[in-house]
Amino acid sequence: MMHGFDVVWEHSDRLLWGVLNTIALSIVGAVLAVVFGALVAILLMSPNRLLRLSVQGLVDLMRCVPFLMLVYLVYYGLPHLGIDFDNWTAGLAALALYNTAYMAEILRGIWSGLPRETFEAATAFGYHGPRLYTRIVFPQVFLAAGPMLGNQLIQIIKDTAFLTIIAVPELTQAASGIQAQYFVPFAAFIAAILIYWALCAIVEGGVALIEKVAEARR
Amino acid sequence: MAKKPAETSETVLDIRGLTKSFGSNLVLDGVSLTVAKGRTVCVLGPSGSGKSTLLRCVNWLEKPDQGAVYLSGRRIGMREGGSIPMSSSELARERARIGMVFQHFNLWPHLTVIQNLAEAPIHVQKRNRDEVMAEAAALLDRVGLAAKKDDFPSRLSGGQKQRVGIARALAMKPELLLFDEPTSALDPELVGEVVAVMKTLAESGSTMLVVTHEMGFARETADEVVLMDGGRIVESGEPSAFFKKPKTERARQFLQRYVS
Amino acid sequence: MTANAFLSLLQGAGVTLIISLSGIAIGVPLGLVLALVRWRRIPGLSQVAAVYVSLLRSTPAVTLCLLIFFAVPTLGIEIGAWSAGIMTLAFVTAAFNCEVWRAGLLNFPHEQVEAARAFGMTPLLRLRRIIFPQLWRAALPGLVNEATLLIKASPAIAVIGVAEITRAATRIGAQTYEPLPPMLTATGIYVAIILVFVGLQRLTERRYGRGAGA
Repeated sequence: MMHGFDVVWEHSDRLLWGVLNTIALSIVGAVLAVVFGALVAILLMSPNRLLRLSVQGLVDLMRCVPFLMLVYLVYYGLPHLGIDFDNWTAGLAALALYNTAYMAEILRGIWSGLPRETFEAATAFGYHGPRLYTRIVFPQVFLAAGPMLGNQLIQIIKDTAFLTIIAVPELTQAASGIQAQYFVPFAAFIAAILIYWALCAIVEGGVALIEKVAEARR
Repeated sequence: MAKKPAETSETVLDIRGLTKSFGSNLVLDGVSLTVAKGRTVCVLGPSGSGKSTLLRCVNWLEKPDQGAVYLSGRRIGMREGGSIPMSSSELARERARIGMVFQHFNLWPHLTVIQNLAEAPIHVQKRNRDEVMAEAAALLDRVGLAAKKDDFPSRLSGGQKQRVGIARALAMKPELLLFDEPTSALDPELVGEVVAVMKTLAESGSTMLVVTHEMGFARETADEVVLMDGGRIVESGEPSAFFKKPKTERARQFLQRYVS
Repeated sequence: MTANAFLSLLQGAGVTLIISLSGIAIGVPLGLVLALVRWRRIPGLSQVAAVYVSLLRSTPAVTLCLLIFFAVPTLGIEIGAWSAGIMTLAFVTAAFNCEVWRAGLLNFPHEQVEAARAFGMTPLLRLRRIIFPQLWRAALPGLVNEATLLIKASPAIAVIGVAEITRAATRIGAQTYEPLPPMLTATGIYVAIILVFVGLQRLTERRYGRGAGA
């Protein structure tokens, strides 16, 4: 068994490449999901009832779909619409699209829980439209969102492992590759799992740091 | 306390026949009121008399059902002619001409004290950042909070928060200042510091419409006192006359109840 | 898509449900054991449980599934895809269920435990007669929520070839060169299953209140 870890160590460059892809997919996917999620949250908070309920319906529907299903739908569906992707981009698109729904719901929940008075003060001071959101609403929403966004980022990191099924070269794919070639399943997958653990620990540490900054601003 | 005369008859705020209901509840019933430049008008009245709604109708935070509001001769909320409502960006531009101080301060918690002051002048009025920051620092000095400029609002006492709230409104260089029960949410021992700031503002010639329960402030500082009840103005006049010899029975009852 | 294809999707749905429910049947009590070990602060075991929970909560189900399916046989133990799938889901959900149970235990009114102790009840008896009858009600909404999340994670076991819905859908897609119809149908089946669980969650929340871990 220890021999297995030696083999994995010899091929640590492959794992490293996998981790870098996992990190890139997670971060870019999360950033896209947060940006689109914020836009969707604005629709979810719209005073227009019909708009609000229909968008809420779409968000709820998305949250009922397993991530792997959406990966397949994007992977097979987009070429059908004439848009051709490589696997990496298809995986990223699925990651961003899927998590947009979760991010929107997180941001909406926090937004609707914030006291409305400071938004009203901004209206009285002449804010309206996009600037009201970018200067007054979302800074407060994001200050309160740290822990929940952190949890979602951990979920995103774990979701990237599904992308091995469409052969995206991420961490689990790299571990699978090493194990298939040298037959060291134990060492290869344990190494991958420990790396996932470390990534999630880093996210949790980051959230704790951000919480300290946010504390003063509430 | 020396009363300043109404130097000019230039009208800053002109409210004409405002009517507003929430459901079947008539909150404003044809209220008309003018405030001349440099004058301080205090609106008194029991809770539920419509005072706060009147104030919120001035900058269209509430949309009145009928009537009109003019600021320095320009209609608020409706376009010229009076039948088409303003777009949200037009309305925002008009609101930026009016400063507002809130009962619960409503400071922006994610910004420091000085950022609270500078936020709207920079991002709404698009004024020069350096100029705005210098003015904001001077304003904080004026309300006695220069030392707190980089603190976040959560670190301040209620009285300090409200002084920041007043400085924030002043930073907009507004034509008119609205005060919505600015001392009602404060502990009694903190009321004094806020009232003191409001007095210096009134004496330095700001145009102010103040909804308040602070009878001392109204008596000593206001140029005119207005008593509201049931959505109407029941009496108005100079504070000396109003507090000593109220003309109506309703005002007598009110004063008996609220002035010890 | 033919009626036959639809039938095999339904069969896949059956596999998904059987494997998920088996995972839940193992994971819920396992989570309770882990929570009790941590709650009673049993030396050594408590730390092991804490590490287990932390590790498993960070582990993608796909990766764990590959580990179990490929590594367990190297220990000389035969394991089929089904067993590996069930073990994966059980281990993952146990970690999350542990946190739900533990929140319930930590919120449990201490006076009641005191009272039971005063009446001479042994720890096991206290647990069985006093704590558990109240604990499961508080934990139920949280546990159902975790069950919903488990179903959404269950396609992970397709990676080792278990013929659950996702796998069935890709197979039909590969045979017919029309991947979208079976995929959309499979998605619809998932949505239906998950909506049932979401409904179940609302029901338990209404009946037993917003439980500890919910």
